[in-house]
Formats: sequence, C-alpha cells, structure tokens
Amino acid sequence: MTTMMERPAAAPGSAAPKKALIERLNLFTALGLGVASAVVVWYLAKTFLPQNTEESVIKTREDQVVLLAMIAWFIGFMIGIGAFIGPFRWVLGRDLSHDENMFYAGKDQGIKRYFRYTTDHKVVGIQYLVVTIIIFFVGGVLAMLIRTNLGYAEGGWLHPQAYNAIVGIHGIVMIVGTIVMITGPFGNFIMPIMIGARDMAFPRLNALSFWLVVAAIPPMLSAFWLGGITTGWSAYNPLASQAPPGMDGYIMFICIFAISTMVAGANITTTAVRMRAKGMTWNRTPIFIYGVVASVALALPAFPVFFLSQIMSALDRSLSSTFYDVRGGGSGWLYENLFWLMGHPEVYVILIPAVAALMEMAPVFTRRPLFSFNLAIMGIAGISGLSVLVWAHHMYVAGWAPLLNGPFMLTTELISIPTGMLFLVLIGTLWRGRLWMTMPTASIYALLWNFMIGGITGIYLSDVPIDAFLHGSMFVTAHFHYTLMGAGLTGALASLVYWFPKMTGRMFDKTLSWVSFCLVQIGFNVTFIGMFLVGLAGQPRRVEAYAEVFSRGNLITTMGAYTIMAGMLVLLHGVISSWRSGAKAPMNPWFAKTLEWTVPNPVPLENFEVLPVVTSDAYGYGKAKS
Amino acid sequence: MSALTHAHSNPHHEHPDVVGSRNRLGLVLILVADIAFALSVLFVYFYLKGQNVNDMWLPAATDDQVATTPVSSTGAWYLTVLVGVGLLTHTYALKGARVKNQTQLVLGSGIALVASVLAMVYQVMQMSAAPFTITWGAYASCYFLITGLNTVHLALTVFIALGNWNRSRLGLYRADHWHVTIVRVWWTWMFVSSALGAFALSFP
Repeated sequence: MTTMMERPAAAPGSAAPKKALIERLNLFTALGLGVASAVVVWYLAKTFLPQNTEESVIKTREDQVVLLAMIAWFIGFMIGIGAFIGPFRWVLGRDLSHDENMFYAGKDQGIKRYFRYTTDHKVVGIQYLVVTIIIFFVGGVLAMLIRTNLGYAEGGWLHPQAYNAIVGIHGIVMIVGTIVMITGPFGNFIMPIMIGARDMAFPRLNALSFWLVVAAIPPMLSAFWLGGITTGWSAYNPLASQAPPGMDGYIMFICIFAISTMVAGANITTTAVRMRAKGMTWNRTPIFIYGVVASVALALPAFPVFFLSQIMSALDRSLSSTFYDVRGGGSGWLYENLFWLMGHPEVYVILIPAVAALMEMAPVFTRRPLFSFNLAIMGIAGISGLSVLVWAHHMYVAGWAPLLNGPFMLTTELISIPTGMLFLVLIGTLWRGRLWMTMPTASIYALLWNFMIGGITGIYLSDVPIDAFLHGSMFVTAHFHYTLMGAGLTGALASLVYWFPKMTGRMFDKTLSWVSFCLVQIGFNVTFIGMFLVGLAGQPRRVEAYAEVFSRGNLITTMGAYTIMAGMLVLLHGVISSWRSGAKAPMNPWFAKTLEWTVPNPVPLENFEVLPVVTSDAYGYGKAKS
Repeated sequence: MSALTHAHSNPHHEHPDVVGSRNRLGLVLILVADIAFALSVLFVYFYLKGQNVNDMWLPAATDDQVATTPVSSTGAWYLTVLVGVGLLTHTYALKGARVKNQTQLVLGSGIALVASVLAMVYQVMQMSAAPFTITWGAYASCYFLITGLNTVHLALTVFIALGNWNRSRLGLYRADHWHVTIVRVWWTWMFVSSALGAFALSFP
C-alpha cells in the first residue's frame, strides 16, 4: 500500500503520481462497492440457495436472500469508504503516518472531506447535522402522509397495508433521528471544543460511528419496496417473523445502528472523561457535557440488548429458529422484554441531552449562573439510573408478570422526581433573570410547557388501571410525541440556532428562527392536544380509518400537523439561506463563557493553538471576577 | 469560564501512558456493551429454559423427528480452557514486553495466536457436530446462538492476536507496549465470556 509519505513527487511535465488508496476512497466508491456487493450476493443467493418445497423444513429463502444481500451491502459500503484500512494497517504493523492522519482529518481538502472517512470531529458534526436533517425530512414527509390520510374519517387514499408500512417506517426513522439529533451534530462538533480538547479520543471510531449510520439507511429505506414495516416501530414478535421482507431492512438497520451507538458511546464517554482541559474539574464541566455523556452511557448497555433481539428475529425469519415462536418453545414476551429493556432508556437517551442543551443556554440568555448545578447533575443521574428499571410499564396489558405491575408502576412514578429537579433548575435559572429574548430562550419556556404535559400524561400511563384503558390509544401516541418532540426536538432546534454561528460561521436568520419557532410550537400543541382528545375518547392508534365520532379531533390534528410542516420548512429555508448568505458571526455572538466561544470562526483544524487551562466554572455570570 | 492558555510542548505526540490509558478506557467501555450483550444471551437462555413453552425446550421424539438431546457442556469447558491458555500465554508475552524481552514477547504472542485459531476451529467443529439443527426447539436455537456468537468473538480474537503477534515480531513494542496491555483486557473478557457460555450450557 502506497502511503502519502512514501509517494514520490511528480517530476515537472510528467503524469501525476498514482493516488494512495486512502485518497481514492469516498462516498461514491462506498456506494459503488456496496451496491455491487449487494447485487452479486443477491444473484448468487438466488441461484444457489435451495428452493422452498413442500418437504423442506425451512421455508425462508426470500428472507435469506434479502438478508445476505443487505449484509453484503454493509460490508461493501464499509470497505468502499475505507473503514477497514486502519485495523488492517494495525495488523500489518504499518501504522498511519502523521501525514496520513492529517489527510484523514480532512486537512486542505475543502468540501471533499465531507464525502470521505474524515476523522475531524467538526466534519463529523456537520455530516451528522446534514444526515439528521435528511432523516427528519423523510420522517416528516411520512408523518404528513399519515396525517393527510387521517384527515377524514374514511381515510381511504392509502391502502391499509401501505398505511401500516408508513407508520412503521415513520416511527423508526424518527426515533433514530431524535437519538442522533443532539449527540450527533452538537456532541461531535461542540463537545470536544467545549472541554478544551483538540479532537475526540478516537477520531477514526468517530468517523466509523457516522458512516455506520449512513450504511444503515439504505436497508431501512429498502423496506418501502419490500413490503414495508407493517408492525409499527416496535416490531413485536411473532408478528415481525410473519411480516414481509421489509422487516429484514428494519433488522439490518437496527443491527448496524446499534454498533454505531456503541462505538459513539465509548468514544464520547472516553473523550469527556479523559480529555478535559487542565483545570476543568467535574464541578467546572459544563452541564451539556453531563447530558451528552449520560445519554451515550445509557445507550452503551441498552442498545446491545436491542441488537440481540434483532439478531434472534433475523434467525427466526431466515433459519426458522424458535426464539419467539411458541410452537418451538419460544416466547413473544421474551421479545417484549428485550425490546423495552432498550426502549425505555432510549427515551432518556433522547431527552437528557436536549434538556441539558437548554440548561446550557439558560444561563447565557438570563445572564445568571445555572441554578443549582449539583441538583441538575442529581437529576440527570437519577433519571439515568431509574430509566433502566421501568421497562415493564409498557407491558401491563401484555399479561407478562402481573405481580410486577405494582413495582414497575412505583419505579415509573419515581422517575418524576429527578425529572422535577431538571424543571426546578431551569425555572430557578429563569427566575428574575435579565432575559435576552431569543429563539433558544423561548425554547426553554416551550420545553417546560411541553415536557410538563408529556410528563404528567406519562404519570397517568404508568398507572396500571388507567393504562388498561388508554393502552394502544392515540393518547399514548400524543404522550410520547410530547416528550420526544415537544421536549427533545425543541431542545435540538434551539441547539441548532444557538451553535449555528460556531458550526457555520454565520448567524441564523433571527426572523426565520422566530417564525419557525412560533409555527412549530403552535402547530405542535394543536396537533397533539387534538390527539389527546381523540385518544381519551377511545380512538386506537395504528388504524387507517376511524369512527365518525373522532372526525373533528382528527381534522384539528391534521391542521396542526400542516402548521408544523410549514414551520419546519421555514426552518429548513433558514438553515440553507443563513448557511449560504447569513450575516458573518463574531467569535462569541452570545457572550457566553464556555470554551467553544473562545476559538475563532471557522474553527482551526486542531481547535486551539495552545490548549486552555480552566480556572473557573462556565456559569459565572453576574459575578465580579467572571 | 475563565481560561488561561499555555503552549503545548508538542500537540501531536502525547505520552504513551496517556494514550494507553485512554485506549484502555475506550476498550473497557466497548466491553461494557459486549458484556450487556453476553448477559442478554444468558437471559434468553435461562428465560426460555425456565418458561419451557409447550414443553419445547427439549422437544420429545415425534413421528418425524428424534428427541432433542442436549450437548454435553464438556466441549464448551475444554474450549474455555483453550482460551485460558491463550490468555496465559498472552500474559507471558506482556511480561516479556515489560522487561524488554523480545523473544518472550514474540513467543507468547505467537502461542496466543495459535490458541485463538485452535479455539475457533474447535468451536466450529462443535457446532457442526451438534446432533440437531437450529430449528429443533428452543434449546437448539439457544445452543447455536451461544456457540455462534462465541465463534464471532473468537474470529475477532484471531484478528487481534494476529496483529499483536505480527507487531511484536516487527519490534513495534520496543518503545512502549500499551497495545499489548489492552489486548490482554480483550483476552480476559474472551475467557470470561467463554466460561459464561460453558456455564449456561451446563444447565440444559
């Protein structure tokens, strides 16, 4: 393998020297190799795998073909992007040279670095930002299809099977979008600078975690052409084992995404623990760092369980194993337990960084210290700890271990205490502050309102008798949208506006940020309060048509959804126009005190010319020597 | 946040101990995920065994199929011993690296590599010799899950042991040996995870 260091310079007038392998690989080689591998393996599998016959024990040829092709896509894509160069060079004993590492970091490559296996955390942050926007765009379009279909009682313009598929894909796409929306763009771009580091602890793992997400998307989207995900995002078995091959896309997507999450979790946690600037004790570490670390640390043990559940699902579908098939000694409850062991911590994987981001902004826009830093940490720790003890509240009506319903009701209701601590910190910081009214400031109020509704309705649903009535209704759908979207997405959008100047060097258009905020928040509350009402009245979720009695509530909900869409389109316009031609941002437009605002725009390759030494906390607003 | 600044002596070359410590924490965190995964596998095994849904943990004989008889766990314990040999020889190599004994380092790494290859081959042989297929009830499914995932673990171990041996041979650990220390963390986990698998299979 020719390294860049070894490559001889071209003599004047001669042909350009041959490019080294790492210079040749990019998104397009990855796509090419991934598609070629998938097609070849698909053809070979179709040709050589035995046909299903009346006598054959295993009748899963179609799933075998699809899964093998998807595995080939994944391996081909990762080879094509260059993910395996580092490990193989390690085995060969030919470690990457300084020049090669600088190439991987994207030095002097301009826009091309965004299409390569670039290790610079800022590039990875921007890549995540763009991919997150695309994920939300896809999920949003699907949401509008759902709401348009539900605008009238008869529904009808979507086939019920297509409707189910759209609901399932919308669910999982949005869940993944919300998982990465803070830790992806801002955890990568902002966090290392905020702690005074030159990069992440493991830059190549950082690139790996991003490109794994990219590799996971095509299998997911292929579900559209393979019968869809007709089970909803939770993909309960044994329903999933009977679903069309679109379910194989879901399985591959989750498996690849779980690896990405594990890699990112180890990387971000190590960075925060080991790479903080000199003098940045835990008491001086910004609260956003706590939020991001809690989120990824929670995901670290949670996602492997989900990963395993999907491996077993794949084995049931493709090799007729019997993990979830009661005829062969399997159990559907096994899947539900594994799924929710991940599924409930995952809610806080989404929420905690969003709330922490707003806690980071609250002192900046009130010009006051964060109210009770220690209480905020206790709240984050309490939520993280309790979140792994509440999973069975999703299974009250499933019939699994009824004797445990009481204890799980208790642990679920207990989680409102640390959640209340975070509310207290935010309200205490806002209290009598000299408010600088920006879109992020307003987002703090929006989060308090939305999260209050999401939280209180969550307490209703954790109550066993009420859950027996409301389970599977639109009330549940409204509840989790109030938490994940009303709180989580609100925090993410505020983060976008707040850190946009540092990430792009441009100010986010103020008017557009306000217009978008108003449309999204008004539309959001109209949408989901309407959904609460029809849910309370008894409308089940995941149905394509409903009784006439629910018409008014659904029409209001659909109108609200269109308002959200308008707000999100304004936001998208704001991102594009501000990025292209917004006002140039000063180094510290918000007069904030965290380290990311001490570096110039654009941020240099290694962030700091000289590493900082921290001598006080980040929230010393209003103090004489701050 | 008040921040002073100081010039870093050389921003591109950190002390090997700092890099090693960081890498060790990173590996431990990845192992946290892997441990959660392994414990979930054990949960699946004992949950399905405990439920014994439709008496299909170990299905009785039918007209079409003989009864599913569990595989003796002795093979799984032998495999654990083999992985233990790999761990011990790697530790021997690490001690060589610490005292700058290149011969001991290369020899220990080489034997560890051989142990990892043998363990993987033995695991595959065990799977292929099973008297049932994955479709023969819950125990059979769990058996192939445990052994299959152990094979993946062992394949990764072969890759890592190969790299470690090759780098030892090339003398890349003369200056510092934190790679060798970290590989031992991996070997230790491989030994524990093999033992966990053997433990589960001891209770069919």
